[in-house]
Amino acid sequence: MVKKKVGQVAVDEKNEIQALFERRNGLNELAKILTADNADLYEKWVKDMGETQSKFQGWWDRMAAKYQWESHEGGNWEINFDTCDIYLVLP
Amino acid sequence: MIQYLVILLDDTSVSFCHYGNAKKERRLMPLETLKAGILFGMKENLNIQFVYPAYALPEAYDAVIEGIDHVKIMPAATPEGADVLVMNGWKECESWTAGAGVSCVLRLPKAEWFGQAGRVAALLEKTERLNVVLTDVETFTEDDFKAYERSLAEVANLLEKAYMNGKTPQLNLLTDRMMLEQMNNCGAGDTNITLAPDGKFYVCPAFYQAAGGYAIGSLAEGLEIKNAQLYRLDHAPLCRHCDAYQCRRCIWLNRKATLEVNTPGHEQCVAAHLERNASRQLLLAIRKHGTFLPDKREIREIDYLDPFDVRKEW
Amino acid sequence: MEKIKETGRGWQSGMAKNITFIVTKDCQLACKYCYLVGKNSKERMPWEVAKQAIDYILDHESEMREESVIWDFIGGEPFLEIDLIDRICDYLKTEMFRRNHHWFNSYRFSFSTNGINYHTDKVQRFIQKNHDHLSIGITIDGTERKHDLNRIYKGDGRGSYADVVRNIPLWLEQFPHGGTKVTISSEDLPYIKESVLHLYGLGIHEVNINCVFEDVWKPGDDALFEEQLMQLADAIIDGGYYRDYACSFFSEHLGKPLDCVTQNQNWCGAGKMLAVDAEGNFYPCTRFAQYSLREKKAWIIGNIRDGIDKNKLRPFLLLDRCTQSPQQCIDCEVAEGCAWCQGENYDAADTPTIYQRATAICRMHKARVRANNYYWNKLFRKLELEDAREACEENHPKPNPLNC
Repeated sequence: MVKKKVGQVAVDEKNEIQALFERRNGLNELAKILTADNADLYEKWVKDMGETQSKFQGWWDRMAAKYQWESHEGGNWEINFDTCDIYLVLP
Repeated sequence: MIQYLVILLDDTSVSFCHYGNAKKERRLMPLETLKAGILFGMKENLNIQFVYPAYALPEAYDAVIEGIDHVKIMPAATPEGADVLVMNGWKECESWTAGAGVSCVLRLPKAEWFGQAGRVAALLEKTERLNVVLTDVETFTEDDFKAYERSLAEVANLLEKAYMNGKTPQLNLLTDRMMLEQMNNCGAGDTNITLAPDGKFYVCPAFYQAAGGYAIGSLAEGLEIKNAQLYRLDHAPLCRHCDAYQCRRCIWLNRKATLEVNTPGHEQCVAAHLERNASRQLLLAIRKHGTFLPDKREIREIDYLDPFDVRKEW
Repeated sequence: MEKIKETGRGWQSGMAKNITFIVTKDCQLACKYCYLVGKNSKERMPWEVAKQAIDYILDHESEMREESVIWDFIGGEPFLEIDLIDRICDYLKTEMFRRNHHWFNSYRFSFSTNGINYHTDKVQRFIQKNHDHLSIGITIDGTERKHDLNRIYKGDGRGSYADVVRNIPLWLEQFPHGGTKVTISSEDLPYIKESVLHLYGLGIHEVNINCVFEDVWKPGDDALFEEQLMQLADAIIDGGYYRDYACSFFSEHLGKPLDCVTQNQNWCGAGKMLAVDAEGNFYPCTRFAQYSLREKKAWIIGNIRDGIDKNKLRPFLLLDRCTQSPQQCIDCEVAEGCAWCQGENYDAADTPTIYQRATAICRMHKARVRANNYYWNKLFRKLELEDAREACEENHPKPNPLNC
């Protein structure tokens, strides 16, 4: 695996994706205990998960367009929440 | 530095402050204890204040008491010779006539004060100084704060008129702050201590006469105020920055509300700031009529009632 | 093409509300230095109490505006009550989500365990279910002889090292950044160096270690402590451990004088935290519950039925360093980094106050400062000679400064 720093985002931008990351994790773990008999909560979860995923993808699209990070076929970007650094990771 | 020694002559000595005396059984201070207490006060160069019960003391006590310069704090039931007379509720005020130079303490619960505060006008005709002490300030609610604010405004109007008529009555809640430029609190444990009939010292009478108190030494073993610094203003993290200079900063109420002697509860702070703000308005109103206390600074306008809400965050 | 890697061991440090459930006062162990003087097997938190506490806390969102929350579970040994904990966590997740509570975006479940039950099916199922939100620390004190000196089973008094160390690989596999908390008492001093190195050898990269705040120290302990720390410093530097391992005894922020105006903050977070016990009473921190106190009455700030009495919290939120410190601490030339526990201050005070700082660790702190100075002087010289100082300062791991 090759890992290379390709950029950095602002703290506010990092906070935005970190909150979405945390929310998605929370929704994922909530899914393990949700049962179908709680229909209201289940519907709320489905809606929320869809919105969170969409915002999540939207963040990466916006940031990639804004900062024009280096990319590579088969690679992916990583963010370090401590430093706001963006890395390109190649398998 | 300790400057005053309060001597409770009996377990049932009258309360002249916020606390209620829970002790109902008479227990006169032994004469030898009284003598030893006075001796302690003389050696330590303390001003002595005797607090009387509502019954006549044996003659032998009078002779000992008169052997030292002092102040007598007495209940309304036995007012003869009082320097400070304590009345509990409006009812005890009805038949009272003050002698010259006698100060008056009026203790009453909020229910008796709200809506009737204007009755102090009649009392201020009879005494040069009146201290009003609300005995349940720690129970104030938001509605009570509003009622208290209204009552202070009402009394401030009365005082303004009195000053315009050339009189200079003193009412602790409203006129003290106009005169003060630094904190002037009760000073329990700092500038004054109390000697109880059991021969022990206490921070103030409440620490003996109300539940949950503790001693700070005894005549036999000497005065030992542990953590004495906590009774001083410089070790009160909220109060040392505060400018509600007239606040009693009641150590006993502090402890009751927050468990710490150096930290006031919300209710005491807000009540003191309502008094401070009403004093500000009174000062401004009197000054509209002409020069008044020209050497005193204006009381500045503030936007909080509890200094805890604007404390420095670390 | 995106992926998120979460890093940073001090999760939301300083921004999180810490809420502790004292789920049980029972423990398999009877550690000799344990400050919990009132442990027992009877006081277990009923589910109804836990639920009512959660409802109260979540109902009062406007009064707890911290961005994040750490739901902390403590005992005794918390994993003795894994069924209750599982139910609490499920309810918390569901309720934070259902109420649109802001903490659903930022929460952790935190445990400090003796590690004995770590491998059991129930605990493992719980870990699988909540892994992304867990912070679990296993307490292991070092070498077997050091660990078993204090951390012994109640009853037969045998050491617990073997039962804990067998679970370390599983724990590190699940939480590779897991840190351990080591407590040092007078009898432990000769084993500090070997113990820290042993923990590194087990694969634990973060060793948070502190001397007990209680007045247990004997004449000469400071010299022994200093000697052990210097030997440890040599071993860490000469062995190159500083690159990947952290030990909280050594800190760059230690041993300078402090100013009473600009550096006046309280050390301890008591009062900003909240603890609830089996009776449903609230405390400013677990150390103020009766089972933690030797000499003083519990400092109860409310309960799940009547709520929190904010007046009882005011002294905590007004605490600053200098108001609670004796003159010797205010004037101290090496004050920086000298810690205190508000609960121990309260317990040891001459009157029932949190405004009297205990100074039992004074000589130990000064010894630590001397060894710490030695460590950094030696390390920086080495790095300068290797032209590696800048890189090291950027990358070397830093321990969690909160040792409570």
